[in-house]
Amino acid sequence: MKRLTLYLIGFIVISSLSSCGYNTMVELDEKATGQWANVENAYQRRGDLIPNLVNTVKGAAESEKSILTDVMEARSKATSTTIDANNLSPEKIAQFQQAQDGLSSALSRLLVTVERYPDIKSNQNFLDLQAQLEGTENRISVERKRFNDAVQAYNSYIRSFPQTIIAGWFDFEKKGYFQATPGSEKAPEVQF
Amino acid sequence: MTKSSILLFGIWSLFCLPKVLAQDLPERPNPPTLVNDFAEILNASQRKSLEDKLSNYNDSTSSQIAIVIIPSLNGYEVAQYAVELAEKWGIGQEGKDNGILILVAINDRRMNISTGYGVEAFVPDVTANRIIDRTMAPNFRNGNYFEGLDQATSILMALLSGQFVAEPGARNEGFPITLILVIMGIFFIIIFLRSKGGGGRGGGGFRPTVHTFGNPYRGRSSWGDFSSGGGSFGSGGFGGFGGGSFGGGGASGSW
Repeated sequence: MKRLTLYLIGFIVISSLSSCGYNTMVELDEKATGQWANVENAYQRRGDLIPNLVNTVKGAAESEKSILTDVMEARSKATSTTIDANNLSPEKIAQFQQAQDGLSSALSRLLVTVERYPDIKSNQNFLDLQAQLEGTENRISVERKRFNDAVQAYNSYIRSFPQTIIAGWFDFEKKGYFQATPGSEKAPEVQF
Repeated sequence: MTKSSILLFGIWSLFCLPKVLAQDLPERPNPPTLVNDFAEILNASQRKSLEDKLSNYNDSTSSQIAIVIIPSLNGYEVAQYAVELAEKWGIGQEGKDNGILILVAINDRRMNISTGYGVEAFVPDVTANRIIDRTMAPNFRNGNYFEGLDQATSILMALLSGQFVAEPGARNEGFPITLILVIMGIFFIIIFLRSKGGGGRGGGGFRPTVHTFGNPYRGRSSWGDFSSGGGSFGSGGFGGFGGGSFGGGGASGSW
């Protein structure tokens, strides 16, 4: 009986030392956390473009003040909602996503409004911003997808047997995904 | 008892393998080519001219500009399709991420220039967008696909000139950990099965295991099979994609 316990302990030690157990969890955890930084960068990039966009539109569309204010408000809300990369719980991710989705929808309303202003649409500065915005939305969707993939790999790893036991001991917790909510899975329409 | 823990360890390592995901995109060309005309739009001499131009550029700078022409996007968004394809093929060098993919979908009349992470600074989205609007689209509208692609690649080369240099013979790959694990797993299982079948005295303590380890056994020659599995690239021209990564930079357009 004593021998059996010894073997059991030996087995657990070997399995957690092998790259399949604890080490893989750490690796997957780091991967997801690192990918989170890329997601934040992409969103940050979009946040940085918006003041420029608003200024370009402002000159030609004085009467659209309320929409421009909405965009700036949504932007400040989105940029102030940051979360700690060490705590990517489903609730935190949902909170972050909600703030960013608010900005996405304000932005798409602005771009729809701009369609009525031929002056803006032919403005080279605006066309360039539009190209940058489009590229930024692509970056966001790429990084989000990679984040979701990284989280999926991590979550399914820590939740499957026998890793789930080790994950429990060392507090590896489930991370959140980006959800495709209506209106957010589609980048704001910037084609005219 | 040692045997059963060895067996358990063997099974454990076999179970812990990463899964490979399949995707709905064209396979990486073999032999590798930088110009891939799946829609048969370019004629042989045009294809060769572009391939030579891009392949020489790759040799001298290590930057990889790939052209992919497909009949249809099958409902995908052009930018998404381009990024996933570029990432799957690994256009550009790993670490430098200096790849560019020019994707043209003939029936959808859509095109995209995707820039690798390392190229984004030299070919910003705005620039990619201008190449599409001012160089590719006007040519494509007149059916001059070759001219559009030829001029676009020349502009891209000029933008990247001097930014990346080729390092001769820099390509070496690390030995895959998973292969080691598989071999270890099989190894332990074989040991277990052999010692069990051979000895017939299951409960024995330490001795059978020592005996098995000390015995030179005939299966060894078969290990050689593993080394033949590696892919071999290179047949004169372009040497193969280098594993560059893409993050969604670039621009799309229609004609």
